[in-house]
Amino acid sequence: MALRRIRLALVVLSLVVLQTTVFTHLRVFDAAPDLCLVGTIAMAYEEGPIPGALFGFASGLATDLFLSTPVGLSALAFALTGYGVGLFQSGLIRESKGIAFVLGGVGALIGNLIFLVVGGLAGHDELFALHNIQVLIVASFYDALMAAAVFPFVRWAAKADSGQAWPPH
Amino acid sequence: MVVYRRDTRGRSTLLILIVVSLVLITVDANGNGVVDSVRSTAHNVIQPVQSVVNSAFQPVRNLAGGVTHYGAVKSENARLQREIADLRGQLRVDQTAGPQVSQLEKLLDLPTVEDATGIVAEVTGTGPGNFERTVTLNKGTGQGIRLHDPVVTGDGVVGNVTQVSSSQATVTLLDSPTFGLGVRLESSGALAITSATAGDRDLTLSFLSSAVKATKGELVVTAAVPNAVFPPGLAVGTVASYSKGVQDLEPTITVAPVVDLDNLDYVKVLRYPDPTATPTAAPNGG
Repeated sequence: MALRRIRLALVVLSLVVLQTTVFTHLRVFDAAPDLCLVGTIAMAYEEGPIPGALFGFASGLATDLFLSTPVGLSALAFALTGYGVGLFQSGLIRESKGIAFVLGGVGALIGNLIFLVVGGLAGHDELFALHNIQVLIVASFYDALMAAAVFPFVRWAAKADSGQAWPPH
Repeated sequence: MVVYRRDTRGRSTLLILIVVSLVLITVDANGNGVVDSVRSTAHNVIQPVQSVVNSAFQPVRNLAGGVTHYGAVKSENARLQREIADLRGQLRVDQTAGPQVSQLEKLLDLPTVEDATGIVAEVTGTGPGNFERTVTLNKGTGQGIRLHDPVVTGDGVVGNVTQVSSSQATVTLLDSPTFGLGVRLESSGALAITSATAGDRDLTLSFLSSAVKATKGELVVTAAVPNAVFPPGLAVGTVASYSKGVQDLEPTITVAPVVDLDNLDYVKVLRYPDPTATPTAAPNGG
């Protein structure tokens, strides 16, 4: 259990480091992928709404430390997304191959939308801009692609201790 | 895949997370020392990694830029050669007016860019968020950078420091929707405030008099305003468009920044006003 928590903490740390270093250089039409949000969606898909919400809150809080928007905004958006995706996945009957891509894209769209709306209501009027909708859509596609790499990573970290090596088979 | 049962514990956990998030948002929006110091520590921890990654990515960025912009670079080189020749001539003319300008500035007792010392810093990356226009510098309070310090390149204004830790600083760019700057139109001397909208690299001028006219290409510089963050006379941009309808209260003027804010490698953080500078007596003794 302790090892699992350490692995999950390392996943959050790795995603934040990648997000704030490598992917700031890899923008497409002003959009960069939100790895922590994709990680949250993966966690919610694997473990359900509460682990998804908790992972989202922790990773969102870590992301917030590097943004100019108030601390807590990403934490709130990611926690709500994690909870929502977790509830949705509990209604899924069976897994399909493209589920990571679809959930990654749609979940990211919802997560970023929550971020914009709550941020705008919290006094950051600049978030209510038409251009941000374009960025939101591009970022969601980017996130959907990144889900292919992030989902197995989170799945490996979230599973009970089994001595399984990375990458998972 | 685990099927999760919707229970009361689940809802109360979510409710707690929502409440904690909202409290944090409120606390940070009002400014809080604890949040700032946690933020500062996180920036210090990530800074060495960011520097390494930036160095590793530099050749890739250069290669991509060189391949995709070869034609543009060639024509830009020819244009710059012509501009250097023109500027050399202009410099000779300006040198004659220089002493007169500095005498007038002293009479007005306004601080100028010469009153500021600078700290050269490397841009290590852009902000990680999708909805902000910021860049990160590899220097911070340890090297003398302070909150709100103006940031420039040789061409002109870049933005100002909005977050700073001991080894890193975050600069909000001139074309960020959260950034506004007092400026002056070079030929008419009209004062205005810049503003920007998300996704638009050009700035819009506000609070202009209805009589103000501007020509395309006219230089826009920082205004001389008491207690301003920026020294006066720094190049901000050039007028990109001017229009005024019959019923408009003020003209619509857009300004293209002189600095290419998407391709910043090194910048200078101005210590303005310089805390180490000794105050000079006003020429009139007042």
